[in-house]
Amino acid sequence: MRRSGARGNLADMSAVVTASAIDRFREVVGSERVLTAHIELLLYAKDGSMNQGDCGVAVLCETTHEVAACMRIAADHDLAVVPRGSGTSLAGSAIPLDGSVVISVARMNRVLSIDVETPCAWVEPGVLNLDLTTAVSHLGLHYAPDPSSQAACSIGGNVATNAGGPHCLASGVTSQHILGLEIVLPDGDILTIGGPAPDPAGYDLRGFIVGGEGTLGIVTKVCVKLTRNPPVVRTMLADFSSLTAAGKAVRDIIAQGVIPAAMEMMDSTMTRAVEAFVHAGLPTESAAVLLVELDGTAAHVSEHTHVVERICRESGANHIRVAADEQERALLWKARKNAFGACARIAPNYYLHDCVVPRTRLVEVLAAIEEIAKRHDLVIMNVFHAGDGNLHPLISFDRRDAEQVTRVLAAGNDIITVCMNAGGTLSGEHGIGMEKRDFMPLQFGVADLDAQARCREAFDPEGRMNPRKVLPAGSKCGDLAFPHEHLPEGTWI
Amino acid sequence: MDLASDTAPNRAALCADLASASARGQRMRIVGGGSGGRRGRVPHTESDVISTRTFDRIISHEPADLVATVEAGVAVADLQAALALHGQTWIQAPTTPHSTVGGVLARAESGLRRLRYGAIRDSVLQVVAITGDGRLIQAGGKTVKGVAGYDIPRLMVGAYGTLGVIVEVTLKLWPIPPSSQWFTAEGSTETLTQRGEQIRREIHQPGAIITSADRLWVELIGPSADLVAPDGMHAGEPPPALAGAGRIDIGVGPAQLPGLVTALARRGYTFQAQLGVGTCTVIFDDLTHLNEIRQLAIDAGGHATIADAPDELRNDPWGPPPAGIALMQRLKTACDPALILNHGQFIGDLEGAR
Repeated sequence: MRRSGARGNLADMSAVVTASAIDRFREVVGSERVLTAHIELLLYAKDGSMNQGDCGVAVLCETTHEVAACMRIAADHDLAVVPRGSGTSLAGSAIPLDGSVVISVARMNRVLSIDVETPCAWVEPGVLNLDLTTAVSHLGLHYAPDPSSQAACSIGGNVATNAGGPHCLASGVTSQHILGLEIVLPDGDILTIGGPAPDPAGYDLRGFIVGGEGTLGIVTKVCVKLTRNPPVVRTMLADFSSLTAAGKAVRDIIAQGVIPAAMEMMDSTMTRAVEAFVHAGLPTESAAVLLVELDGTAAHVSEHTHVVERICRESGANHIRVAADEQERALLWKARKNAFGACARIAPNYYLHDCVVPRTRLVEVLAAIEEIAKRHDLVIMNVFHAGDGNLHPLISFDRRDAEQVTRVLAAGNDIITVCMNAGGTLSGEHGIGMEKRDFMPLQFGVADLDAQARCREAFDPEGRMNPRKVLPAGSKCGDLAFPHEHLPEGTWI
Repeated sequence: MDLASDTAPNRAALCADLASASARGQRMRIVGGGSGGRRGRVPHTESDVISTRTFDRIISHEPADLVATVEAGVAVADLQAALALHGQTWIQAPTTPHSTVGGVLARAESGLRRLRYGAIRDSVLQVVAITGDGRLIQAGGKTVKGVAGYDIPRLMVGAYGTLGVIVEVTLKLWPIPPSSQWFTAEGSTETLTQRGEQIRREIHQPGAIITSADRLWVELIGPSADLVAPDGMHAGEPPPALAGAGRIDIGVGPAQLPGLVTALARRGYTFQAQLGVGTCTVIFDDLTHLNEIRQLAIDAGGHATIADAPDELRNDPWGPPPAGIALMQRLKTACDPALILNHGQFIGDLEGAR
C-alpha cells in the first residue's frame, strides 16, 4: 500500500525489502556492503537514542552515484529509506522503522578540498566533526560547531540535525556554517545547491535542508564554512553555592553586553560524576559550576574577563579559576564534553532532553526540574549550554526496571511542559526525530504543522524518506489521527 | 508573548483577503516601505496591492534575552531606535532609508557588518506569515536557539514575498559594540584589494572590508585599544551610498572576489565589494553592461541579480534559473497554491507553465 504524502505517519507501510531489491543493491555496491545478517540489522536499527527500530537492509555507500543508484532502487521498489551517518542521534532520527532501508554514508569520509582564502572546505558527509577541525588546524582554521559528541558524530549528521555545541553561543549553529551541499533526492536525482558564493537567487533550499533530519533526501557533499582561530582564548571556571546564583550570573553577563564564546553550566550531581571520571579538579562540593570561555583580541578578552569576573563575584561565586594554559583548558573542556559518558557511573541508561528556554527564565525552570526529580523520585542531572538557555536535563535510570521507566517518561513529559510554559522550544540542537515528534503540537498549531508537512512533501512527494519522523501523525490537514499504540515495538516515548 | 497578536484584526482581514484572492486567482503585490520597489521583474498592473504598513507594532523586546518580536511593517530605523534605548541592535540589518523589517527580510538584504556578524537570515528566529491561500502560520521559535520543525523562516527570508506575507518576526539581537571606527585609504585597485585581503587575514574579525576601484574602507569593532589604523590607512567615514541608474548585486566566492574586482575596475565600472563576504554592488545603466557584469560573475562561479533599476532595465533581473528550480516550484505551490503572491516578479519559471 502506498503512503499518500510526506505526512508518513499512517499505518500503511512501505513495501517490504524483497530478495530482488537486495540483489539490485548488491549489483551497485557489492555484496560485502549490503548487510542482511540479523545481528547487523539489529545494530543498524539503533542510534544514540533509546529506541530500537527495525532495519530491512543496510547499504554502505561510498560514492554519490552509489547513493543515487540505491535511491532509485528504493523508489522502484517503493521502499522507505533512512539515511545514516555515525548514528549518534539522541532523538531517534537515524532509527529505521518497519523494515526500512538504511543507507549509510559513514564510509564517505574524505575531505575533498580546502579553500584557505574563503575559508571553506568541501567534505563528504561521513567526515567526523572533530576530524574536520583536525584536518584544517595546521592552517589556523577550525569548524565552529562543536557538539559534545564531536569525536564520533559526522558532518552529515550535523547537517541533518542542525547540530549545535558549546561554541554556538557566539558563532551560531550548523546552519550558519553550511555554505552549500549536494543532495540525492528521493527519486535519485543529484542536486548541488549553493557553495561559497553568497545569496544565489531563489529560495534558500540549503537553509531548509539543514535540520531536515534525513526526511528530504541524502546529503552526499557539504561545503562547510571554516573559521579562523581567535588570537586569544581564556577559559574560566566559577563555582556557586546555588543554581540560582549561577543562573543570575549567566543572565547578568549577557545583559552586560558580553556574549562569551561559550558559557556552560553543570549542577553538583553532574560535577561529581564527571570529576570521578575526568579528574579535572572540579569543585565537587558546589551546587553549580559555570564554565565561561572568552575569545578574540587580547584587549577584548581582557576587558570581558573583568566583566565576567565581577559579575560572578557579585552573584556569589565561591572561586574563579582561570585556565593557566592550553593543557588546563583542554582538561576543563574534556570534563564538559565527557559529561554524558560519565553518567554511566550513576545508572546504566539516561534519557536526555534538549529544550531551550529564554535566558531570563533559566533559574525558575531549573528549580522546577529539581522539583520534578523529587516528585518522581529520580536522579536528574544538568549539564547545559547556559548562555543560550539550551537545557540538557538528563534523567538517569535503569531500563530493565519497567516501573522506573514509567516514572522517567512521566518526568520527561513534565520537563517539556515546564519548558514550553516558560516560552521555550522543544529542541535546541538534537532535533525532533521520534522522541520529540509527538510533542510538536505543544509548539506548533494545526496550520503550522500542515505548512511544514506541505514543504516536506515538496521534496518527498511519496513520503519514503525517514517516514514517521519529525512531524506527528495528522500533520497534513486531512490525515487521520494516529493512535499511540501503533508505535513500533521498542519505541518507548 | 502577546497572544492577542495572533488574532489581531488586520491579520484576520489579510487572511480573508488572500483566501478570497486565491479563490478568484486575483494576483496580489506586497509592498512594505517601498524602498525595494525597483527590484525584481516589473509587477503586473492588474495586481492588487497589499501594504504591510498596518503591521506596525514592536510587540516585545526582552533586553536580557537579546530578542525582539516585531511586526513586518515597522521601519528598520524605528526598530533600531527602540532597541538602542537598551544598548542593543539588529546588527545584520542594512541602513537603507525607509526600509521595513519585512521588506529587508523578503529581499534578504544584509548590512555592512556581514563579514563579522553574518547574513540577515541568521538573525531570524521565528516568522509569522500568511500564505497565499490565507493561512496564518508560524515557524521557528522565539528562543535564541531552536531546531524544532522545518526551517521555514529561512525559506521565507529572501523569498521576495512569493511564499507568504511576513507579518511578524522574532529577531536575535546583539549588544551595540561599545566602540568602532572606519578607516580608509586611496590607491590602485590591485593594491587596495591586496591590502584588504591582508587585513582580512591579519586582523581578528573586522566589521567590514570594502573596496571600490580607488578606495578601501575598513571598519574595526572592539575596545578602543583595538581601533588602531591599519598601516597606510587613516580614520574616515563609511563608504557612501552608490548612485546610478541601476544597481546589480553580485555574489561570488570570497576567494574569487579580488579577481572579479580587478576585472570590473579594468572595464571602468563603479562598484563596492565586500571582501571576505563575496558580495559586490555594481552601478549599470544599460543592458549591455548587465550582460557583461553577469558573465563576469558567472565566470567567477557566482551570480548577478538586479537590486534596483528602472523598468526598462529589468526584463531579466534574476539571471538563469537557479539549481533546484523544480523544488522551488513545488515549495511555491505548497505555500501559494493559486500562485498569486508577487506573480511573475521573482526568479524565472517559478510559477511554471501556469
